[in-house]
Amino acid sequence: MRLFFIGIIITSLLGAGAYVLKLQRDNVILKENAVKLESAISEQKQVIENQKKDFAEILEANKKINELVNNLKKDLDDLDKRFSKKDRDIGKLAIDRTKVIERIINKGSDNATRCIEIASGSPLTEEEKNATKKSEINPECPSIANPSYIPY
Amino acid sequence: MLTLAIFLTNCSGVKQLSIFKEEVKRQELNLEKPTPLQLEQIKWIIITSENAEEVFKKMEEQGLDPVLFGLTDNDYQLIAKNFAQIRNQLKITNDILDKYKEYYEPKEKVKE
Repeated sequence: MRLFFIGIIITSLLGAGAYVLKLQRDNVILKENAVKLESAISEQKQVIENQKKDFAEILEANKKINELVNNLKKDLDDLDKRFSKKDRDIGKLAIDRTKVIERIINKGSDNATRCIEIASGSPLTEEEKNATKKSEINPECPSIANPSYIPY
Repeated sequence: MLTLAIFLTNCSGVKQLSIFKEEVKRQELNLEKPTPLQLEQIKWIIITSENAEEVFKKMEEQGLDPVLFGLTDNDYQLIAKNFAQIRNQLKITNDILDKYKEYYEPKEKVKE
């Protein structure tokens, strides 16, 4: 009977010891988990910050493209106006002042050719970059050829 | 009792948290931008019923074949507008491409 009780006490002590050891192990794991969670929260914050930056960048890119589309549309409208300004009839003008119109058309064609080169990625010349007067700009596409020019 | 102790110590344990991080970046495409166009200049000749003879005579004097590919004044306006539209589209497409490149392959990342 006594041995039985001694057995129970020893077993209980062993069990309690093992339980304490287990608690210590758990504690270590919990501490590690807490560190990981903190690091995860900090990383998540960084991710949110990066997302905010990305959204700002997306908005800016959209704004720039919309501005470009509007400016190019304006260039196209200006071309249309040049052909039809004050009931202008380019055919009649060409009959009356053939040489002058031929010169104007060839100049316009050269300018339009340069516009296509710029649109395809050709770098702007210093002259084009610095043009601010109407007489200095490329009237076919000032919005892409002459960044310093402000229409007046 | 021993069985109970073993049961308590092993079955109700705290599980270690595993956080998986997978950050496998795609290789950058790095396609070269196409070379900007270098176009040839063309010469327009206006021909009317009055100057036709003179124009053809000049062409022959310059050693050119006396033939012209013509457009009416209306069609000339249309071709000018068509080219302006093509130019605009080219510029927009190019700029969109640049924006994509800046966004997905910024220079800072390339340096890293």
